[in-house]
Amino acid sequence: MGEAIVGVVANPLSGRDIRRLTTRASVFPTAEKANMIQRMLTAFGAVGVHRVLLSTDLGGISAAVFRATGQRRAQDGRWPEVEFLNGQPIRQTAQDTVDAVRRMVAAGVRVIICLGGDGTARVTASAAGDVPMLALSTGTNNAFPAVREATIAGLAAGLVATGAVPADGVVTRAKVLEVRVGDRAETALIDVAVSAQRHVGARAVWDPATLTQLFCAFAEPDVIGLSSILGQLSPVARHEPHGVTARLAPEAAAQVLAPIAPGLVMPVGVREIERMRPGSVHRVDARAGVIAVDGERELTFEPGERPTVRLRADGPRCVDISAVLAASARLGLLRRPSPAPGPVPVARTDR
Amino acid sequence: MTDTVDQRALTRGQLLSAYRMMRTIREFEERVHAEFATGEIPGFVHLYAGEEASAVGVCRNLDDRDTIASTHRGHGHCIAKGVDIGEMMAEIYGRKTGSCHGKGGSMHIADLSKGMLGANGIVGGGPPLICGTALAAKIKGTGGVSVAFFGDGASNQGTTLESMNLASVWNLPAIFVAENNGYAETTSSTWSVASDNIADRAAGFGMPGVVVDGFDFFAVHEAASEAIARAREGGGPTLLEMKFTRYFGHFEGDQQTYRADEVEHARAELDCLRRFAARTTETGELTRSDLDAIDAEVAAMIDRAVTEAKAAPPPAEADLLTDVYVRY
Repeated sequence: MGEAIVGVVANPLSGRDIRRLTTRASVFPTAEKANMIQRMLTAFGAVGVHRVLLSTDLGGISAAVFRATGQRRAQDGRWPEVEFLNGQPIRQTAQDTVDAVRRMVAAGVRVIICLGGDGTARVTASAAGDVPMLALSTGTNNAFPAVREATIAGLAAGLVATGAVPADGVVTRAKVLEVRVGDRAETALIDVAVSAQRHVGARAVWDPATLTQLFCAFAEPDVIGLSSILGQLSPVARHEPHGVTARLAPEAAAQVLAPIAPGLVMPVGVREIERMRPGSVHRVDARAGVIAVDGERELTFEPGERPTVRLRADGPRCVDISAVLAASARLGLLRRPSPAPGPVPVARTDR
Repeated sequence: MTDTVDQRALTRGQLLSAYRMMRTIREFEERVHAEFATGEIPGFVHLYAGEEASAVGVCRNLDDRDTIASTHRGHGHCIAKGVDIGEMMAEIYGRKTGSCHGKGGSMHIADLSKGMLGANGIVGGGPPLICGTALAAKIKGTGGVSVAFFGDGASNQGTTLESMNLASVWNLPAIFVAENNGYAETTSSTWSVASDNIADRAAGFGMPGVVVDGFDFFAVHEAASEAIARAREGGGPTLLEMKFTRYFGHFEGDQQTYRADEVEHARAELDCLRRFAARTTETGELTRSDLDAIDAEVAAMIDRAVTEAKAAPPPAEADLLTDVYVRY
């Protein structure tokens, strides 16, 4: 089935915004992002991934991995061939992630792993098309990416990329929210919030009193971020087909205490909770303001623009790490000697 | 956290004043760039154009209790803290009417009456100074906050790192603003700064570190407002890293062989004044004619400052030994 290629895109700026100051959100060091990629490379090597395409950045992640590729010793085990996606200007904006993901898709990668927070996952999803993605948390707000050990994520991505574990049943399609303001459009993987603030400013949303409306693709009771507002009132799971929306007002009779961002548990007034059906179009009430996608202010709108939000079923295809490794156990893929002839060439079995 | 929307939004007056400040810095620097080429200005000048949102976004949150320390690229900080434009221009021309009586020049403009501790020819010279003024404010209980602006080059200096440590240990009302314009003179910060994000270093000193889009006035203003309010309330120091590009060379005369198209890209796509104007007219908070009127007033003011500076006398021989020593 051809070469097993995995793409890895890492956001050098994730985990750096104003939430370090306002809420003591976690700092994710560059060195740890680079270490995570190296642990993944070891896992890829163990399950027979041939080649890895890695995004480049000015934040020092790809540079650290590059140095490490030259320092490998014989006993360190086999790594796949690592190809650095250089040669394009780096703008230090989200466009760098989009460019890298597009190149990975064009090169025929079988899985794309992204390292970042909700914002990075959203941008990766917008460019990944039908290539399965695996979002790993190295950001601030992590409702969408998994907080998992990189070695395990690497094994899961590798087993899917080599075809050892068939995608059926371990790769599932996520929902997505589409926001339209005139001819501008954005997507969100978790939530869309309407704020009465006028400017994008420092992007993050940390004052619920500014919010007037909330739309959630899913709202799970144990998830951080704005979707937590509805997660305790009207939970919707990721795998359910519908979404949920509500109007927010500080003076509303129904109040809920919600972990709207890391380090912030705030009372929020909620009214008019309503189910969102796939495909149905919902209007934004406010005349002017800012729309936050997955917790970050992104789009401004002015009187007359009338933004809309729509829940779509055709979001990104996502690798379920637990399902892949459970399938691997059932199939005995990591047993040695291997019980069945498989497409898995293995470098080392002695340690 | 309990601010209402209205309290947090900038008023029309505040927006106009922020635009006027940024436009004044830009016009000042563009004019000094042109005038320096004639050979009339003595010494070196390092221009701040492109970085205006940082000085203005931070200093709009400061008042008379507060002090700032600047760098060799100090004109923007001086203007944003309220130093007189005419005196600044005269100082750059080396005239007796200058802020330092014409004996300091561009790199030493200071005005203690405005809480401006001085531009500074020493890379990393500012951070230790603000530890002193921040300690004074803390002991006197004035509620004052001190801000040190420094560059990516200074972020590698021992003085800067020691100051951040001291500010954290003493829990000082000190804000460290790293203005990362990508180059320490001609050396790329992607090569010379081991941590890559300067903000990441904050973790080692137990203070928050935040990366800010330094081309965006609103992003800078919001981040600085949170950091300064926290410092005033006894919350301690913060490190803010502004990422942007300077529009001119390290100094006037720098051939800039170390970079290619980034200035054109920044001027066209990212410029703080353009973005501010586009955004505030789009929302209807300001009109194009508001901004045009400010542009015209500022141009006339800078023109006047240059004319007056050129007409002013240089320091006399008798001034050589004045202001050399200070009696306490």
